[in-house]
Amino acid sequence: MPRIPTRLIVEAYQHDALLPLLLRECRTLDSAKHELRWLREHALRVKSEATPHFSRTLLRTMCVARSKGIPLQYILGDQPFGDLDIKCTRGVLIPRQETETITYHAAKLILDKLSKDGGGGIDKNRPLRIIDLCTGTGCIPLLLHSLLSPHFPKITITGIDISTVAIGLARENRERNVRLGLLSKRALTDVNFQHGNVLEYADHTSALNKVFQDVRVPPSPHLDLGCDVIISNPPYISPQDYRNGTTSRSVRMFEPKLALVPPEESSTPLLGERNFQIEDLFYYHIAAIIAKCMVRLTVLECGSRLQAMRVATLCRNILQKRSETSGATISVWSVTGVDTHPYAVLIQMSLNNKGPCQGQQR
Amino acid sequence: MGSIPWVCSRCLARSARLVGNLQPIFQRRGLHTGSDLSPALLTRARSMAAEHAALSDQLATSFDPKIAKRMGEVSEVAKALMEWNDANKSIAELKSILNDPDAEAELKPLAVEELESTQASLTSISGNLKRALVPRHPFADLPCLVEIRPGAGGDEAGLFAFELLRMYLAFCARRGLRSSVIKRELGAGTDDRLSEAVLEIEVDGSYDVLRTESGVHRVQRVPATESKGRTHTSAVSVMVLPSFPENGVSGDGALNFDDPNSDYYIDPQDVRSEKMRASGAGGQHVNKTESAIRLTHIPTGIVVSMQDSRSQHANRKKAWQILRAKLAEARQEAREQDVVELRRGVLGGVARMGRGDKIRTYNYGQSRCTDHRSGITVHNLDDVLEGGDGLDTVMDSVRSWITDREILEMVSELPEKHK
Repeated sequence: MPRIPTRLIVEAYQHDALLPLLLRECRTLDSAKHELRWLREHALRVKSEATPHFSRTLLRTMCVARSKGIPLQYILGDQPFGDLDIKCTRGVLIPRQETETITYHAAKLILDKLSKDGGGGIDKNRPLRIIDLCTGTGCIPLLLHSLLSPHFPKITITGIDISTVAIGLARENRERNVRLGLLSKRALTDVNFQHGNVLEYADHTSALNKVFQDVRVPPSPHLDLGCDVIISNPPYISPQDYRNGTTSRSVRMFEPKLALVPPEESSTPLLGERNFQIEDLFYYHIAAIIAKCMVRLTVLECGSRLQAMRVATLCRNILQKRSETSGATISVWSVTGVDTHPYAVLIQMSLNNKGPCQGQQR
Repeated sequence: MGSIPWVCSRCLARSARLVGNLQPIFQRRGLHTGSDLSPALLTRARSMAAEHAALSDQLATSFDPKIAKRMGEVSEVAKALMEWNDANKSIAELKSILNDPDAEAELKPLAVEELESTQASLTSISGNLKRALVPRHPFADLPCLVEIRPGAGGDEAGLFAFELLRMYLAFCARRGLRSSVIKRELGAGTDDRLSEAVLEIEVDGSYDVLRTESGVHRVQRVPATESKGRTHTSAVSVMVLPSFPENGVSGDGALNFDDPNSDYYIDPQDVRSEKMRASGAGGQHVNKTESAIRLTHIPTGIVVSMQDSRSQHANRKKAWQILRAKLAEARQEAREQDVVELRRGVLGGVARMGRGDKIRTYNYGQSRCTDHRSGITVHNLDDVLEGGDGLDTVMDSVRSWITDREILEMVSELPEKHK
């Protein structure tokens, strides 16, 4: 990381004595100024009746914490995600803007494809079923619910995570957003969060089946599992990238490794696969679930273009092993532009009564 | 008079008053009568009244919302024209009585009195007719955005911009207009110097209320930053932009910005959206708090950046709103400019007050606020800056000035159209 020029530090100090502290983490003056403003607003909000001295001390404490690299969202306690306000605590990954963009795109796809198409359309009595694997704060299920619930009379969204802290936080976020009026009351019954290990589901479908039994959704005759959409933002950082500086210090030190790097010990059965990379571990498992369950739409967030290409290839290989799923349309989606934009792999299947898929249109 | 044997005292008194009143009647007649309403304007009013009659016939047989809407637009003109015709007819009748040598002598004073009052009301009636003829501003029914930027004058301009922002906030609070600051950028290292602010007023029709405020506001005072007690002059530019409702104006084709045929449609292809953040790894690798969004409309080069909120989504929404407002205003302005150019070619010298012109001076030394368009001066600057009645007075005078000017423009415009 390049040093901050002294000139910049002096300039920051002239603006505000606290700015040089924030500069350590923000690196640019503009973003430091914004963070200072947000922190100040927060300090004034927290204790509006307290003395100005107290809020000054509070602000100073927060700036010192931030200078040590503690994420702003952990200090402020929340992060906006779409129209929602997501609470963030230590031990759970902070929702990223890339995820937000991908969630909006997924909602658009669901509205375009699933609500209108005639043959494989959802009948009125059956709810639309969505599963979010590795849900974390629960941001994706909650935002999807807020975007889709006006268009679907029945909808069931399940978020699954291995971390009990995350599941607790996700439930708290559900209640919090309903209380704030950002989500409709339906979300309390429509959105569920369950503890589960995604890496077990592919081998033991019974575990996944249990998920649906808990949601009390009757399994449909056409589908092995009652699921229309899978969306996921799984851990996708390789152990090398985690160590070599690609992952920023603040993320490494304060965000849970569990949510960032796939576990190396679980990857031994796959080591024989061609082109296997540890960071793709979750995608193999999710692809296996899709192949078994005939999911109509899958949206998988990826870290980079390269990874997205790899994931698209591995999904194609796995899905082609079964005749029912061999006709799936797999594409890499990104916002046009430079390399930092979000990348997602989209897998779409049109279900014509379980026969091999025909007539894919993108 | 000698041949008349006897005149009653009452009639004598009346005729004396008549002689005394003759002058004022004449004066008024010289200022405001039918001749004031130019023939072109009258033709237009008559054609609109005819249209109104035709439309009401159509409506009697079948209902069509479009026809009903158009009828609502012209009905005011038709009504005003009818009143105007009635007044003119009665004036003609009264005149004929006056000029008739056979009329009874007792009637004449009564007729004169009647004529006087009718002519007085004719003034206001023709005023109404003219106002009805002025087409309504296309954005009049919309909520608005007020953009405040300091101009020449450095720090002092920033300070005054902050005061203007406070003035409009107070004004909105007093008038019960719901308002919120959607963008507030302070100058370097200060908390009372604005570098840019956008105020959103969410009430329908607030564009019409505030459109008198577009332009350069000049301040003359001894600034807080001045050490030698000299008076400085600085400028702050205020722009009032129409704010389009998020899901468009349903049904109304002209203002529905989602409709590609609309005048205010923006092709998303023309807008470049940039997330102002450093390159490098993204996603889970980093946790950037930067949420700034910059939209560039490529054909016009208008740039809007928004970074106030921590949510990128919210920033993008606001940026689009401002971009849409700016483009709509620019397009409307271009259209007005075309009209002015055309008129200048034919008539020469029709002035137009653009947003680049100085419109108002706030002078602290003399505690006055002068508007340069209507020429009104209010000698209670504090009240104006607190958004009180003083500001109302100024704005009302400007509004009537704008109406007068629009009438004038219309009058000068009509003959060209009829050529």
